[in-house]
Amino acid sequence: MGSLRLLAPAALLVGIVSAISIISIALTAFGLMPLVGQPRLSTDAFGALSSDLWLGLRESFVIATTSTILALILGVPAGLALVSVSRIRAALAALTSVILPVPHLIGAASIGLLLSGGGVLPRWLGVAPSDWPALVAGSFPTAIVIEFAWKESAFIALIIAAALSSRLTELSEAAAVLGAGPWQRLRRVTLPMAAPSALAGAIIIYLYTLGSYEVTWLLGRSYPEALPVLAYRLFTSIDLTARPQAAAAALLAILSAVAIAGVGIAALRRVGVLR
Amino acid sequence: MSRFSPLWRWGGGALLLIWFVLPLLPIMLWSLADRWPTGDLLPTWGLVGWREAYGDHMVPALLRSTVLGLIVAAIAVPIGALAGRALGWQIGGRHPWSAALLLAPIALPPFALAMGLDVLLLRLHIPQPVAVVVLLTVFAVPYTTYIVRSAYAGLDSQIEDQARMLGASATQATRKVTLPAIAPALWAAAAMAFLVGWSDYVITLIIGGGRLVTAPILVAASASGTGNEPLTSALAVAVALPLVAALLIGRLVRR
Repeated sequence: MGSLRLLAPAALLVGIVSAISIISIALTAFGLMPLVGQPRLSTDAFGALSSDLWLGLRESFVIATTSTILALILGVPAGLALVSVSRIRAALAALTSVILPVPHLIGAASIGLLLSGGGVLPRWLGVAPSDWPALVAGSFPTAIVIEFAWKESAFIALIIAAALSSRLTELSEAAAVLGAGPWQRLRRVTLPMAAPSALAGAIIIYLYTLGSYEVTWLLGRSYPEALPVLAYRLFTSIDLTARPQAAAAALLAILSAVAIAGVGIAALRRVGVLR
Repeated sequence: MSRFSPLWRWGGGALLLIWFVLPLLPIMLWSLADRWPTGDLLPTWGLVGWREAYGDHMVPALLRSTVLGLIVAAIAVPIGALAGRALGWQIGGRHPWSAALLLAPIALPPFALAMGLDVLLLRLHIPQPVAVVVLLTVFAVPYTTYIVRSAYAGLDSQIEDQARMLGASATQATRKVTLPAIAPALWAAAAMAFLVGWSDYVITLIIGGGRLVTAPILVAASASGTGNEPLTSALAVAVALPLVAALLIGRLVRR
């Protein structure tokens, strides 16, 4: 079979469905596809929503940035522990691979029951619900960030372990023979070997957390909302004129994702992961 | 070889284990609890959550999620396998545009595409469940394509030529030589595609419009609404447990 016939079904499906969805979002956002009335090119939706849009965008970027950083801080050491000679290795390997297929929605439901006032953690720590900080739906998206970082740190740990498993022992032993201590080996051998995978993982996590709805909706506050939550609330509003505003928020989310993907691809090229 | 001090190894290891275990404990404990009086370290055990989940139509919802996952896998695996063959063996070139296009859904927010597609459904007269399957397949194809692509990349493309020289037809060469070699990747791809359909919430919510009630829809409704911890936890465990069980069985079988 020719290469085009092999690629066509997947490429056509992905290309056509993505393209018509994005075009219909853009047309709706600019007033060209109203539910009722005449199409009219306008930027009203963006104007009517401007402060909410910027707040939503900022909230989404705060969530994505802190989640990605925390996932790396916890995922990289976990990945190193997975390839080290340690007694917790087996337990850690089982745990991270169990967490991987657990849907984010389930993680969010469980973390809500863990961190809310009257949740499992304040019960165990003996803190009254009224004295417990607002980790769920509070002024900083703490519970959201913890859920994302929890699941994605397992993902980071597994891809780092996969990247290190082949040549680490050999190189690390060579460095030890040459007199490098454990911290020096970590900084000069292990981390540089893990860095490209960690970067690729971080980009995937950033894009996911930026556009994810359910965790942010379930564990977030009502104002300001992250972009996906804002968009969905407007989308289901009984006020039909809110449709273009919902589309404006969705379009902004798509454009942010494309911009971040562009930065990510440039970064991966720079470190030589992509040609 | 000198090693990190025990404080780092044990302290760090213990913290990591707590970090990974703690978030899963609430649904595990609450799904087996009738009540949890304030001040008690552990709940009062019971199965009220499972009884309520059964009454909340959990079983049909789990069946719908299963069917959704199977259909998404049945479409995304074959088309991903074909694309993965072209990309992995670089048949007719490196195809940089197709390679990029087939990764693109990983970057795009699912809720935004779902809204865009939903706006068109009324105009195009496409039934909602069909649109849910189509969009979920779009988000599953990057995984199936790239899992199969790396299997092909690790397989010498001359393997089929050698079978042909020994008298096999083109179809036989693919069926009897290549397919068995990439079978593990096909199964992994099917598992990922099934997972996309099984665990989806936002696409089913937006396009299904509340009429396609899958298991995640029930979990979200309970988690956001009632404050009924045993029910929420039983539903959540029912969604997560089959995946965890399948994964652990898979690990044992491979060993």
